[in-house]
Amino acid sequence: MGDILETLKRYRAEGSRLVGCFPLYGPLELFHSFGLTPVVLWGLGDGRGYYPASDAHVQGYACSVARALTGFVIEHGTALFDALFMYNACDTLRNLPEILSRALDSRGGHIPMFRLHLPAIPLDRAHAARYLEERLRGLVKALEEFTGRSFSGDAFMASATLYERRRSLCRGVMDLRARGGIPSARAARIIELGNHVEVAEHIAGLEEVVGSCSGLPGDARGVRVMAGGIQAPPLELLDAMDSSNLVTVADDFATMARTHLASVSPRPDPHSYYTELYLHHPPCSTLLPSADARLGHLVSRAKASGARGFILFGEKFCEYEYFEAPQLLAAMEREGVRTLFLEIAPEDRENLAQHVTRIEAFAEMLQDGSTGG
Amino acid sequence: MVESPLAGKPKKSESAKRLSAMIAEDYMTLHQRASNGAFVVWIAIVVPAELFAGFDDVVYAVPESHAAMSAGKGVGALQCAKAEQAGYSADLCSYARIDIGTVLDGGRDSPSFGLPRPHLLVSNNNNCSLLVKWFDIYHRMWGTPHFVLDIPFCYEEQNGLNFSYIRDQFKDLISTIERLSGQRFREEKAAQAVSLSAEALKEWKRFIGLASHRPSPITAFDSFVHMAPILTSRGTRRLVEHYRMLADETESLEADGVYPVPGERYRLLWDNIAPWHQLRKMSSRLAGLGANITTASYTYCIGSLEGSIDAYPFDGTDPLAWLARLQNFSVCPQGLDLRLRAMQRAIERNGIDGVIFASNRSCKVYSVMQMDQMRHVRDTLGVPAIMIDVDHADERKYSEEAAFVRIEALLETIDARRSSGRPPTA
Repeated sequence: MGDILETLKRYRAEGSRLVGCFPLYGPLELFHSFGLTPVVLWGLGDGRGYYPASDAHVQGYACSVARALTGFVIEHGTALFDALFMYNACDTLRNLPEILSRALDSRGGHIPMFRLHLPAIPLDRAHAARYLEERLRGLVKALEEFTGRSFSGDAFMASATLYERRRSLCRGVMDLRARGGIPSARAARIIELGNHVEVAEHIAGLEEVVGSCSGLPGDARGVRVMAGGIQAPPLELLDAMDSSNLVTVADDFATMARTHLASVSPRPDPHSYYTELYLHHPPCSTLLPSADARLGHLVSRAKASGARGFILFGEKFCEYEYFEAPQLLAAMEREGVRTLFLEIAPEDRENLAQHVTRIEAFAEMLQDGSTGG
Repeated sequence: MVESPLAGKPKKSESAKRLSAMIAEDYMTLHQRASNGAFVVWIAIVVPAELFAGFDDVVYAVPESHAAMSAGKGVGALQCAKAEQAGYSADLCSYARIDIGTVLDGGRDSPSFGLPRPHLLVSNNNNCSLLVKWFDIYHRMWGTPHFVLDIPFCYEEQNGLNFSYIRDQFKDLISTIERLSGQRFREEKAAQAVSLSAEALKEWKRFIGLASHRPSPITAFDSFVHMAPILTSRGTRRLVEHYRMLADETESLEADGVYPVPGERYRLLWDNIAPWHQLRKMSSRLAGLGANITTASYTYCIGSLEGSIDAYPFDGTDPLAWLARLQNFSVCPQGLDLRLRAMQRAIERNGIDGVIFASNRSCKVYSVMQMDQMRHVRDTLGVPAIMIDVDHADERKYSEEAAFVRIEALLETIDARRSSGRPPTA
């Protein structure tokens, strides 16, 4: 939590113009191409430090993501951000822009807010693609006015190249994790750092990690599992997976695989770029048009990676994840992938030991299965 | 179906009797037509059902409305538990849990024996994007096609881009139904349905407009129960007749000096979905305190544009345009400023003394804004307000005593303001 704040303060002190973005899949490349530094307001530590400021505005039954980002923006937003950006993803987050604006106003602050309605229907429906094009054109115009710069296709291409490089390196880290070259917790930490760290700096860090772990043996020893959720769980739980001899061969964390399995060739046209990005985005519970494909996609990934177990870390109060969970878990079980569902609230430290015990028991069950026990 | 709380009075009103018969008939007709081969569509509540009238044999069902009726009939928690046993989290919307529980148990314990299985699911994402997730469950379970209407959330009044986008999607929906049902859409029939809906909504506004009278001849609980046919009989002559009768009868009762809360001392506004499992209990207990929830954001929004509480008229020309323009009518698709604008109008027009914000963990989209709304109502409008915890359909998540401790505190605050000489509405 402190690290994030210190990082953003450093950027600010160095003269960066920060745009706080939420939720996860905003058009970061576009902001970057205008010389801005987009950071994603997600995974802001365990949130406890920010809840008091949030509690006056958002009920306790909102998810930790919404509460933490609300508190963070209220506490530090005016000092850190030149602008905020949000797109429609969930019902709680879409209610936040005006809450944040009012809260900041009441403290004598103001941060410009950019918004985008991302079509919630497949972009291969003609009017959806047209609509996205119009909205992107409006966003570009707003950014031109905000920055005093004209849009540059070359600059966008350069930014898109950086983000594609980052996604590729994150996939490399995930591959390392699958081969036992990097602990699950470290993989999660280095990938999720990308939410808050400037893209070039993140790339440098990722390259260092990937470079230092090259030449590893082909496969890790242990029981192969897949893990998923709206964000990686507390690192203690990932450590518990490793120490229980579970090898995370694939993940479906929104902050990890759902973000970085996407691959789009850079191009100077934002509309073409984002149409492809969102049309072929790895399925996510918050991207409504991808719902059709999600279960099949995850089961296929589990099978392809040889996962024998699937651990779903359910984010407390995230209904988008919870509506899909029963059918997802059942689909995995039908394919012979054993499942464990854990309900997680990042700020809940008291129940970590119970979760660790359940992970250990799950690992024992899988190991018994592997030896015919 | 949900009975009017007025049904507990010595004499049930004619409109309440008609309501019961009408809802029963609506569900019976739905089942009969479905079994006779009609094309069945399940819809989210703000999907424009008038479009289905453009086809010869398309019927629609509204799972949210069915869930509300189930809760009103006392089986909400029972159906929720069935969904929970199947792995659906108790933190999910109670309407969804009731519906899923009903489906998984084949309609058992439902007041209407469930709903006929659909040929098409139509959801939208502006009133509640979770409807998309909810209907996706059935899409995966049955392989039923699921058509999603993408309606942009409005922080300001609807703009031309959004209007066109919505209207285009209505055309897509029509084409989809034509393709799946083999039936042809006739716009003039849909236009007739739209015309009837607009007329019915005018009568609806006449009815809920009576809340401006002192004492009020209506309670918000009346508007809660009488909104049911808007969901089951949209675009019909009988809906017009029902609301005309309701408004006429209420005016007549008022002329005779009959009021639901005869000693009305406190005029309150309710913000959120109706607490379906508490209608009679809550209205009776409030009446005993001389309090009348005369007004509700849940019902004054019906038929109005965003930020308004007045009826949006149909000029008779383009039914799709009217439906597209009115797609934000419910509270939930609207941003905080728009919600407050409509609420301020209702407070001023109806002489509201206090506001009850029902914080509803089953409906985050309605509730996550209320803390700032409440602050605005108290600090800027000068109207006392409280927040109570409610779940609209799962009574296990509601504590009557905890709620009434706060409601009574609200009434005391109103009294204190009066005794200090401050006006009830600043």
